[in-house]
Amino acid sequence: MNMDDNKLTLEKITSDLTHHIRINKGFLIWMGFLTVSLLVCLYAYSIQLKTGLGVAGIRDYVTWGMYLANFVFFVAASLIGMLISAVLGLIGMKWLTPITRIAETIAVAFAAVAGLVIVSDMGRPERLAYVFLYGRPQSPILWDVTVITTYFVLSLLLLFLPLIADMAIIHRKADSLPSWLKPVYKVLSLNFTDNPAQNKIINRAIRILLILLIPAALSIHTVTSWLFAVTSRAGWDSTVFGPYFVSGAFVAGSAAVIIAMFFFRKNYKLQDYLTDLHFNNMGKVLATVSLVYLYFNFNEFLVPGYKLKRADAIHLQELFAGKDAILFWVVQIGGLILPILFMLFRRFRKPLPIMFISIAVLIAAWFKRYIIVVPTQEHPFLPIQHVPQNFIHYSPTLIETLISVAPFILVLIIITLISKFFPVIPLHETARERGIEHIKFD
Amino acid sequence: MRFKNLLIIIIILTGGVTLSAQTWVVPDDQKAVVAPFKFTPDMQKQGEQIYLKNCQSCHGLMGKDNWAKLTPPPGDLAKEKAQKQTDGELFYRITAGKIPMPEFRNILPEDERWWIVAYIRTFNPNYVQPNPAALASFTGRIVTLAMQYSDPMKKIVVTASEQLKDGKTGLAAGVEVMLFVKRFFGKMQVGDIKTTNAQGLAVFEFPADLPGNKEGYVEVTTMVNDPKSQMKTTPATASFAIGAPTDKPSLTATRAWWSTRGNAPVWIILTYTLSVLIVWGFIFYILFSILKIRKLSNG
Repeated sequence: MNMDDNKLTLEKITSDLTHHIRINKGFLIWMGFLTVSLLVCLYAYSIQLKTGLGVAGIRDYVTWGMYLANFVFFVAASLIGMLISAVLGLIGMKWLTPITRIAETIAVAFAAVAGLVIVSDMGRPERLAYVFLYGRPQSPILWDVTVITTYFVLSLLLLFLPLIADMAIIHRKADSLPSWLKPVYKVLSLNFTDNPAQNKIINRAIRILLILLIPAALSIHTVTSWLFAVTSRAGWDSTVFGPYFVSGAFVAGSAAVIIAMFFFRKNYKLQDYLTDLHFNNMGKVLATVSLVYLYFNFNEFLVPGYKLKRADAIHLQELFAGKDAILFWVVQIGGLILPILFMLFRRFRKPLPIMFISIAVLIAAWFKRYIIVVPTQEHPFLPIQHVPQNFIHYSPTLIETLISVAPFILVLIIITLISKFFPVIPLHETARERGIEHIKFD
Repeated sequence: MRFKNLLIIIIILTGGVTLSAQTWVVPDDQKAVVAPFKFTPDMQKQGEQIYLKNCQSCHGLMGKDNWAKLTPPPGDLAKEKAQKQTDGELFYRITAGKIPMPEFRNILPEDERWWIVAYIRTFNPNYVQPNPAALASFTGRIVTLAMQYSDPMKKIVVTASEQLKDGKTGLAAGVEVMLFVKRFFGKMQVGDIKTTNAQGLAVFEFPADLPGNKEGYVEVTTMVNDPKSQMKTTPATASFAIGAPTDKPSLTATRAWWSTRGNAPVWIILTYTLSVLIVWGFIFYILFSILKIRKLSNG
């Protein structure tokens, strides 16, 4: 390959992957919509701050309602960074290159917001620091805030390190870039000139991060599952809750990545980089993790279903044939069994069908958390007299719903900003994989 | 702005329904009830202590508007909403309770409940106490209880005496008495209600296995069962060494999973601290090496 080809190809790749970095009308409308929606939700939260948690539907029986279901969902979705980058990446799957940054972006966004979601369930959020100041080292709650903070920092670093080289290329080569952004990229590029010493540092740091990410990610969702599993409540009292949650997290995260891939490919015109092959392979990944999750679901319901301890029996009866039955079966069949069946066929792993399947899976994933968190609490163990009806039947209020929507808006804002101002697909790595061995920096 | 109005309407609709469903009406005959004695500064002081122990956790400090954020809001009892109620209304609410407010019927004796009212009234400069239900015109029975532990019988003997019309004191027969033992949360009733015999005596068996303190002491109270408040009664309280001596070390006294922060198991502290140190050690290592990238630049 001669110099001219090299230059041409690199310029083509750079232009393809960075032409979306500009402020256009669509971006402003979208961000305006998100900002206004967020403000409405924040107004709802200000009411809760002033009036107290009584404005939500949570009462003495169901103390963990929608907020906690939301929290579990957000932690779950953030786990995908670990599956894509660390597990599959360390195995050496080359096709993953264009997806890694999308996965990391989703991981960073969801992990950052997960911490805020839990604050929405606090009556006295200003006491958050007490968890560290007075937390017991025996308590999963202390472990949870520790691992989520750690995982967020690891994910952020893993997002940033591969960006260094990209920034160096962009601020020199991308002509379409708004001029006010160039100095920002120059600072972020840390004077990277692609010399061996610099590459060695970055590669080693990324490798350390990838290895650390696996135990950290496993910890965040295992510890989140322990928040439930360390109680003796029916439906939570389970020794396999850790892997059950982790496998469920991969399902939600893979679906989120596929949806993001679809929209980035379409809006940022990345058809040459995110090809049918990537959707096909991600479809296989989603099908695989869904099968694992299905296995844990059987385990989770079949074993207590055989023993039928009294509280378990009541809980399972409500899920299978009682008042939660419709939600339960829609989620299990529509969000797990049918998607698995569809994804067995190649034609459903094409971009459009797999995107629709992923949306169904992701929505079901949220309601699945709701089913895990809420119904069991409606059956108290202690008999109490004169219980108000709203203790027994939990129904989220409008304010509670708005406060639960806020984290989704925040995630969309973070993903939008990251994807809008940085290349969605790793530029330096893509260039290398397409045969550009050394990039000349002047 | 329009959305804000809409929100407010929705909040009023949803919130209003819950609030109106929780209005708390005091029966008229209870509203008219007045304290059986004239409030004294001593009672007000006692009432303050009882208030701080039993009421302040929800209602906050009087006049400071710092009640707990609950639904419905407990409110500050120094304020008009509480002060415009009659003594009888306040007394009834303390006595009967309504979820989430506890009922203090069996937690505080009648006198102490009135002392709380006396204390609440000190925050109302315009308050004039209605004439106490005067003892002179009182036609019901005036009963005083006393209590003894009878060693040979292994039983608690309650003696009821009453003030007779001629001013003398006699034994009170046919009085329903109850026995309570103090537990960690409030008082627990021992046995059934008993009626005093012609000698004014009621005998209670006391279970031998009820845990007492280190020496086996338990605090026992006897009260007259007088749900319609037709009598004037004086309860009696005493400590007897009749419980099973209990000297269990507190569950949080040693290092254990379930113990306090200071008594966490060493291995948990080590595992947690080491994991955090190792992972964050690597994170800081990476942060420092990122700083190095700048220096290694060719340009």
